[in-house]
Amino acid sequence: MIKVNNLTKSFSQTKKPAVDDISFEVESGKIACIIGTSGCGKTTTLKMINKLVTPTSGDIYVNSLSCLGHDDVQWRRSIGYVVQKAGLLPHLNVFDNISLLANIKKRDKKQIKERITYLMNIINMQDIDFLERYPKELSGGQQQRVGIARALMENPSVLLMDEPFGALDPITRGSLHEELLNLNRELKKTILIVTHDISEAFKLGDQIILMDNGKIIQSGSADDFRDRPVNLMVKNFIQGQLND
Amino acid sequence: MIKIVIIILLGQFSLNGICRDKIVIGSKNFTESFILAQMLALLIEDSTNLKVEKKLGLGGTKVAFDALKNGAIDVYPDYSGTGYSMILKKKEILSPVDTYQIVKKEFTEKWGINWSKSLGFNNTYALAVRKNDARFEKIKKISQLSNKVEKLKYAAPHEFMERQDGHRGFSQSYSLNFASNNITAMQSGLMYSAIEDANVDLIIVYSTDGRIKNFNLKLLEDDKSFFPPYQVSYLVGKKVYDDIPALRKIISKLEGVISEKEMINMNYQVDFYKKSPRQVAYEFLKKKQLIDLDFKFANNTDGLFAYLKSKKQYLVKILKEHLILSFGTLFFSFIISILVGILLTRYKYLAKITFPFINTIQTIPSLALLGFLIPIFGIGTIPAIVALFLYSLLPLIRNTYVGIQSIDKDLIEAARGVGLTNFQILKLVEIPLALPVIFAGLRTASVIVIGTATLAALIGAGGLGDPIFRGVATVDSKLILLGAIPAALLAIISDKVFALIESRCVSDGIKN
Ligand SMILES: Nc1ncnc2c1ncn2[C@@H]1O[C@H](COP(=O)(O)OP(=O)(O)OP(=O)(O)O)[C@@H](O)[C@H]1O
Ligand SMILES: [Mg+2]
Repeated sequence: MIKVNNLTKSFSQTKKPAVDDISFEVESGKIACIIGTSGCGKTTTLKMINKLVTPTSGDIYVNSLSCLGHDDVQWRRSIGYVVQKAGLLPHLNVFDNISLLANIKKRDKKQIKERITYLMNIINMQDIDFLERYPKELSGGQQQRVGIARALMENPSVLLMDEPFGALDPITRGSLHEELLNLNRELKKTILIVTHDISEAFKLGDQIILMDNGKIIQSGSADDFRDRPVNLMVKNFIQGQLND
Repeated sequence: MIKIVIIILLGQFSLNGICRDKIVIGSKNFTESFILAQMLALLIEDSTNLKVEKKLGLGGTKVAFDALKNGAIDVYPDYSGTGYSMILKKKEILSPVDTYQIVKKEFTEKWGINWSKSLGFNNTYALAVRKNDARFEKIKKISQLSNKVEKLKYAAPHEFMERQDGHRGFSQSYSLNFASNNITAMQSGLMYSAIEDANVDLIIVYSTDGRIKNFNLKLLEDDKSFFPPYQVSYLVGKKVYDDIPALRKIISKLEGVISEKEMINMNYQVDFYKKSPRQVAYEFLKKKQLIDLDFKFANNTDGLFAYLKSKKQYLVKILKEHLILSFGTLFFSFIISILVGILLTRYKYLAKITFPFINTIQTIPSLALLGFLIPIFGIGTIPAIVALFLYSLLPLIRNTYVGIQSIDKDLIEAARGVGLTNFQILKLVEIPLALPVIFAGLRTASVIVIGTATLAALIGAGGLGDPIFRGVATVDSKLILLGAIPAALLAIISDKVFALIESRCVSDGIKN
């Protein structure tokens, strides 16, 4: 479960807030998609939930725990976070990138290996010698998939994903969509995905949150958006993209 | 138990304080100073059981004098005129006797330093002409030239041209009416070739320079005593003067013994026959029957192989000294710089203060920096390491700082998002990613340190600079190469070794 109440972030006192008094809740085991134009505050919202950015005001709950009074590091470790541009460490190979936190926690080597083999299957990179490769030896899409595997490594109950499928071809993207829906169904993970792509949001999201200028314009199911857009802007946004 | 401790402590005390078993002889960085230091060393070895330690080739009057003052050396030769004008800063030119009396009195009063009596000769400026120049056949004294030199060409060292008591006073005092286009300021080495080729007719030289003999020149008498007296004495530090009375007796054997001609000849033996200063000093003492011991000296005309063989022990010693100086320094400064560099990335306002400061250190000329450090640390290995340390700070701290600073902020945030602590980010992300830049700094620092460490010889810290500066001073290119080649090789090798270590430490993922 992810819940935010009246969340606001101002980076400077003079400019208007990047995130402006938003509230929403993602129920346990559900997938929510945040969509919206570039710069509308999506990444900032995710970073606040992961405690990378301190909110100016408002509350955040994950699995009914308030982010206040929790150690930042422990909080982040309990959440899987897929960074916008994969964020792989260039000096570590794929194996070490994925097992970064597991190694810090000194997990059993054999278990780590098994888990990584399993994850490489999920992201459809089980074939070649990928584990030995460095990020610079991967394509953009492969890097993104490794980023997803890294977020899943510690089996967190909550996943935050910032445009995780941006650089992927439609086929890989489709198969990852399926994997994500499976994960969600079988492992009951709560997932919050940021995306630009409205059809992706419609396909994955139990709930869709449309942001503009730091505010939530509309929040609801795909049907709500198709049948009952709250205003002309939402209508145009949806149609403009779906017609492409 | 306590008794034992007291006995040991007393034992220590008496070793250090009362029964001195060692004497440290210094010299400045030119042939004559080397010879006179060796001469004293030989006499001490000959007639006492004292251990003689030599810190020869100190880089200038200030270094040598400061070393004597703070007890880093016990004795070294210097000139009355130098003490009078450079150390006491007096201007008025007095007779040799008066000059000597003043320095003797004031040095004792101010610093407890004792001047021995003059060893005999005077090494001051002199006017030289070719022996075979017919025009000077009948001329013995400078005053005989008064108002007769308009057509003659004249050269002098730059410093002589500029000094108030140099060229201007000299030409006025003797009414030397040189035509202005016949006067040239010249580097002293060139001056000798110029007079040999008859491009000039009169030159200003140091009166005991070995080249006077080599180039077949004669000196004209300074009959108006215009040139300040520069008579040489041994300067003896306060403690050793009280502790070792025998030293006074030994020095007194040399007082008044060396004539100008003999000194010129000794300098000549070193500068042109490439004999070692020690051998020349020994031969002089033998001739004067001041020494009993018999020494054998290697012949410097032997082949290169024999030469290297004879220097093997020495080469090993200075190489060791150089390695300890350079890598000892690098080790400490590397550790400290990494810590400081990291600290500065955490507290940026400190970086704003620190960098101008260490940049400034870098711009201080090495010799000046050594000069600053001598009053604090004395001479020898410690001030040398401090100076090298200061020079190596900039490349190391700057590269650590820049290396960490230039890492993509998103990457750090991604690592933090995964759940790494600040220390884990430093250890697992920032340092590994900054390593190539840090290594570049280390390689720069190692070249700077190995190169600058040659200057350590000028403050008695030994190393590969020792033969280089002695070679420069005694015009001995073999000796120069003995230090310069290993120093260059060392710099190249250490760069290659660090490159190798770098390629092992740096992840393949960030190599280009
Ligand atoms: N650290 C920061 N300091 C100041 N302003 C910031 C900072 N981070 C983000 N902003 C601003 O906040 C606003 C929202 O940024 P955010 O990154 O959340 O946008 P986004 O919706 O993720 O956009 P995109 O789709 O391009 O990734 C932008 O106007 C951005 O310039
Ligand atoms: Mg974003």
